[in-house]
Amino acid sequence: MKQCEVLDTASKKKMPDTKKIAKSWRLWGEGRLPLSWRLILVAAIWSMVTLFVAGWILVALFRGASLQALDDQLNVHMTAIIQSMARDLPGPPRRPSNLGEARFELPVSGWYWTIRDGQQNQSVVFDSLSLFGDQLNLPQLPKNGKHPKFIVGPGGQELRLVMRRIEFSGGKSYVIAVAGSTKEVTERTAGFARVAGLTLMALGFGLIGAIILQVRYGLLPVNRLAQSLSNVRRGEADNIDEDMPKELKPLAVELNALIKSNHEIVERARTQVGNLAHGLKTPLSVITNEANVRDDPLARKVMEQTDMMRNQINHYLEQARMAAQRRVIGVSCEVEPVVRRLANAMEKIHRDKDLDIVVKIDSGLTFRGEQHDLEEMVGNLLDNACKWCDGNVTIEGKSTEGEEGGRELLLLEILDDGPGLSAEQKEKSLKRGRRLDESVPGSGLGLSIVVDIAEVYGGKFSLADSPMGGLGAILELPSISAAAK
Amino acid sequence: MRILVVEDDLDLNRQLCQALEEAGYVVDKAFDGEEGHFLGDTEPYDAVVLDIGLPQMDGLSVLERWRRSNRNMPVLILTARDRWSDKVAGIDAGADDYVAKPFHMEEVLARVRALVRRAAGLASNEIVIGDVVLDVRAGKVTLAGQAVKLTSHEFRLLSYLMHHKGRIVSRTELVEHLYDQDFDRDSNTIEVFIGRLRKKFGGNLIETVRGLGYRVQEENA
Repeated sequence: MKQCEVLDTASKKKMPDTKKIAKSWRLWGEGRLPLSWRLILVAAIWSMVTLFVAGWILVALFRGASLQALDDQLNVHMTAIIQSMARDLPGPPRRPSNLGEARFELPVSGWYWTIRDGQQNQSVVFDSLSLFGDQLNLPQLPKNGKHPKFIVGPGGQELRLVMRRIEFSGGKSYVIAVAGSTKEVTERTAGFARVAGLTLMALGFGLIGAIILQVRYGLLPVNRLAQSLSNVRRGEADNIDEDMPKELKPLAVELNALIKSNHEIVERARTQVGNLAHGLKTPLSVITNEANVRDDPLARKVMEQTDMMRNQINHYLEQARMAAQRRVIGVSCEVEPVVRRLANAMEKIHRDKDLDIVVKIDSGLTFRGEQHDLEEMVGNLLDNACKWCDGNVTIEGKSTEGEEGGRELLLLEILDDGPGLSAEQKEKSLKRGRRLDESVPGSGLGLSIVVDIAEVYGGKFSLADSPMGGLGAILELPSISAAAK
Repeated sequence: MRILVVEDDLDLNRQLCQALEEAGYVVDKAFDGEEGHFLGDTEPYDAVVLDIGLPQMDGLSVLERWRRSNRNMPVLILTARDRWSDKVAGIDAGADDYVAKPFHMEEVLARVRALVRRAAGLASNEIVIGDVVLDVRAGKVTLAGQAVKLTSHEFRLLSYLMHHKGRIVSRTELVEHLYDQDFDRDSNTIEVFIGRLRKKFGGNLIETVRGLGYRVQEENA
């Protein structure tokens, strides 16, 4: 999400959390989940699984240790029972008493012992009062002494069982079993599991928080790189900031090399276009002039065709220049010096008219694009204004907000006090190659070139009436805000 | 009026020279930047037609060098690179006007005419002195409304003097501006043509200033 915001700061708006999550799911489904979320997700899943397994192992160990303690206790009682039985040896065994555990005396307490005859059919010899006439359902005691550790006692209680076969002198053998309820162990284990679960859950959330912080912090330079690239694209910077962590530095350096090579390609294309223009236009001049001095059908045909060739060459050269334009990134130029330079040139070119050209441009106004293109647009419009004016031309330039309120635009108005144009003439004059008056020199491509270049930059060109009485040519172009510089 | 044409394309150079000569100018030509620069630096021209893309030294460098050494004749540049950035670069280098290739010869002639006229400080294409009217655009002279037939040499001489009306023009200056570089400067053709013009327009139009040269009086206008 963070990445998306950086790449499209213009559409940055407050989005409710549920929408954010829904968007993340959709992106995940499309395999476009942001890098930060991928890192956070994987780390969170791994932490949760690890903590869950750790909790499970801890609880199992706790229960194991509790059961071991219970076994130890049962074995102590077992030893006491044997000692008590053997007190009158070599006489017959006695019923054990005074075992020091009151629960053996309480009915169905969960604590039982029983002594069975080891040779006959395991008939009960003695058992604890707690059995209250009931019997423990004992398993067979194998020769190796390994017997099941759990049995079900009276009332369905789960009991932990210790059994041993002992043999007194005279060959008399007994099977002694001591059993204790696991209820306490189970309760204590559950208590432990609760505390451990809560603790581990808190640890888990803490870890996820730390991971989010780590990822955000770790990806900060990536965001900075994206911002830097975006600045280059918007023409606010010439190249990318190479002061990056060592993992990203090579990327920044490579991107800068790419931007440089892009500039070089455009420059080369432009030079070649210029060479092509020169190469074609000189012979075309020769043919035109050769035909112009003769008056026969062939000469007239040549004149007609060379005119078409001239228009075609101009049109396609302009298209080629425009195509080269689209690849240019990260350039900008200040408006005022360009306009002043053009105004000086116009005063020289149209010296006969004794022009008064007033330039009113906000200082610091910057065009986001190539200087050549600004010169081409303003040059054509200013030249037209100078041709048609009655001596006064004004160029006003200021910064303005785009219609959608997002992008910063610059507004250039070139106003003259000439005869102006009717609504119909204004519409016609924007069409390619259209000249309203053939007596004023010009190829007729001027205005449509202005429209084309303005469109390449996502700008607008329109004609209106000038407050000075003549025509007003209005250009809206992308600019760079004073604050961004 | 003496014009220098600097253009590397042989055909275009020939066409420019021919058209300018037919329009009544004396024309010198050069085919590369160095030759063009040398001529412009050493000979007095009333205007220069200069191509931008020249071998050996490009047109803008030629122009900048002329301007640095205070050669202030009006210069019309011919350029195939017709973006405004190229035109403005030409104007900034010191050009007075430009024509984009491919061009019609009439356009070059009109621009050259305007440059020469402006250099002489004249506002209109017609120079009027009393009954005598010189139409620079049409290349014709009338006396009291009647067209006067002139040879090309007579026209050039009258045109130069009328372009510089009110000023004494020396014989040397006339020779320099009315004949190309191969002309024998010691000949007395100037005096012969002055005499013919006086016959056609009367003795008052051109005044001889002894020891200095000739003058067409402005106050006669």
